[in-house]
Amino acid sequence: MTSSVEVGRGAVYDRGYRPYEGKRGRRGAATLALYKASVRRALGLRRSWRQKVAPFVLLGVVTIPAIVNVGIAYVTRNDVFTNGRVRVEIITYREYVGVSSALLLFVALVAPDVICPDRRQHVLPLLFARPMNGVDYVAAKLAAIASILFAFSLLPQIVLFVGNMFVSNSALNYLTGHVAVLWKVPIAVFLLAIFYAVVGVAISSLSDRRIVAGASIIGLLLVTSITAAAIVGEEPQFNGGSAGALINVLALPIYLRDLVFLGHVDPEGPLNGVANGGLLAVVAYVAVLLVGVGILLRRYRWVER
Amino acid sequence: MAPGHLLRIDHVTKQYPGTTALDDLAIELPRVRIGLVGANGAGKTTTFRLLLGLAHPTRGRIEVCGIDVARDPIGVRARLGYMPEHDCLPLDQTASDVVSTFGELSGLPARAARQRASDILDLVGIDEARFRPIGGFSTGMRQRTKLAQAIVSDPELVLLDEPTAGLDPLGREDMLTLVARLGSFGISVVMATHLLDDVQRVCDHVVMIDGGKLVVSGATDALLERTGTVTVDVGPRRDELVTALRTVELPAAVAEGYVEVTIDGDAQIDLLRDVIADLGLPLYRLTSRLTSLDEVFLERAEGVR
Repeated sequence: MTSSVEVGRGAVYDRGYRPYEGKRGRRGAATLALYKASVRRALGLRRSWRQKVAPFVLLGVVTIPAIVNVGIAYVTRNDVFTNGRVRVEIITYREYVGVSSALLLFVALVAPDVICPDRRQHVLPLLFARPMNGVDYVAAKLAAIASILFAFSLLPQIVLFVGNMFVSNSALNYLTGHVAVLWKVPIAVFLLAIFYAVVGVAISSLSDRRIVAGASIIGLLLVTSITAAAIVGEEPQFNGGSAGALINVLALPIYLRDLVFLGHVDPEGPLNGVANGGLLAVVAYVAVLLVGVGILLRRYRWVER
Repeated sequence: MAPGHLLRIDHVTKQYPGTTALDDLAIELPRVRIGLVGANGAGKTTTFRLLLGLAHPTRGRIEVCGIDVARDPIGVRARLGYMPEHDCLPLDQTASDVVSTFGELSGLPARAARQRASDILDLVGIDEARFRPIGGFSTGMRQRTKLAQAIVSDPELVLLDEPTAGLDPLGREDMLTLVARLGSFGISVVMATHLLDDVQRVCDHVVMIDGGKLVVSGATDALLERTGTVTVDVGPRRDELVTALRTVELPAAVAEGYVEVTIDGDAQIDLLRDVIADLGLPLYRLTSRLTSLDEVFLERAEGVR
């Protein structure tokens, strides 16, 4: 609706209400919009600086080992150890996947923040009045957390790889000698990101209070890891591990990481010597994912009852 | 605006365990501003959930804007805007962010959503405050923001659930003015309320439900029929007029300083005029009193129960 009133030689325009006649998306567009909004929220974008501190400090923390590793490699680049030029590595690419508890802290902090307020502040009815359903909601939230975790896990690895490449004698030789890393790291990181995202978002969906959800995620980590450690005992590389290690839910993606990098379970890890340990780890990993997704779909099923 | 009915509710029953929320509701509604009236628990919110495809009817069929809700709930929601009664906005985000995000969630491209959010917030009277977190907004500003998110995508139909709830008289006036303007934007309205004055002011059509049953559905003007009571102002000599009218067998009484006369047909109006003239009384006012929606509701709801 546009009207104009002539005032001398100029005109005053009342824009009023203008109907929208452009392109409209449907489910895909709505899901993508919710994904983008969730990523922005998780990273504190378009929010106060206080909301940005935690995610970016954690990103810094997970990147420190890579920087330190590259720094040491640079300082010792001309030293000769044993039979050849052996690089000093304080952390390997395999160990770097999921080694930092900063990622778990990040999940405990961010997953509740993108899930709980929707329920606590009654935003869900507004969201589901849009062209989307419960499955779309769950997919958008999981994808948001998983993609940030993937990026936060992969970025330090890229720093480590590029840094190592440039401090080596021949960057090209380093690259050709470590081609496997280029596919193993993304796969392992992907498995880790999906798993932590599903567990974090599923637990967060059970409460509308962020503090309760965050504490529950940390609690799950502590209780299951302590229980598993008690069952496995010390020095599994010598005494043999135990299938009880699978109780440590948040270590499951680490066992899969070992399968990706080594092709078998870590001989020094808690599944050492367990018959079909690798297979059991895969089954447990998939089972936890299915339970998590099942919880989420059930929690957001009400929208089309 | 597209031709045809806005809503077709075809003998819809909605039962929950132990209760019937809607009982064989059958109505067809035109593309105008519609008031959905009923006491608390009458079935208004259930009706909205059914229209949005967020609940399925136990029996019957619903069409919104020509689309069968059961077949294509996403398609229906792409054409609707929804303003819930309760608080439903993310309190730590700005109005600008919230409205543009909900524009994107409704299928608008990001740039169009931001542009329209700005225009619509102007329209509802949220100016500089749009860049402040909603948590600091007054009830009136929150209601306006809720209305803005409902219409940002230029829907065919907007569902407003108690839009004046909690507003002071000035805020209520502003909100009703905005609702009244929606029709001129090409947006049809269904406004659920228990405030019949609000409906009488802004709605072209009224649907009254009570206990899940249809009480009455019709054009507001047609429901506000003449009662057969005439109010006469003849100044202080009103008792004299009442006595004279009774002698010619016209029932009359003094009420609130005026003479109220029950008449039946134009002949009795002429008789009333003649009596006043014979007595030599001044005639300051002679009006035929309209019934109110409250009276319509009370009278017809009694018949349905």
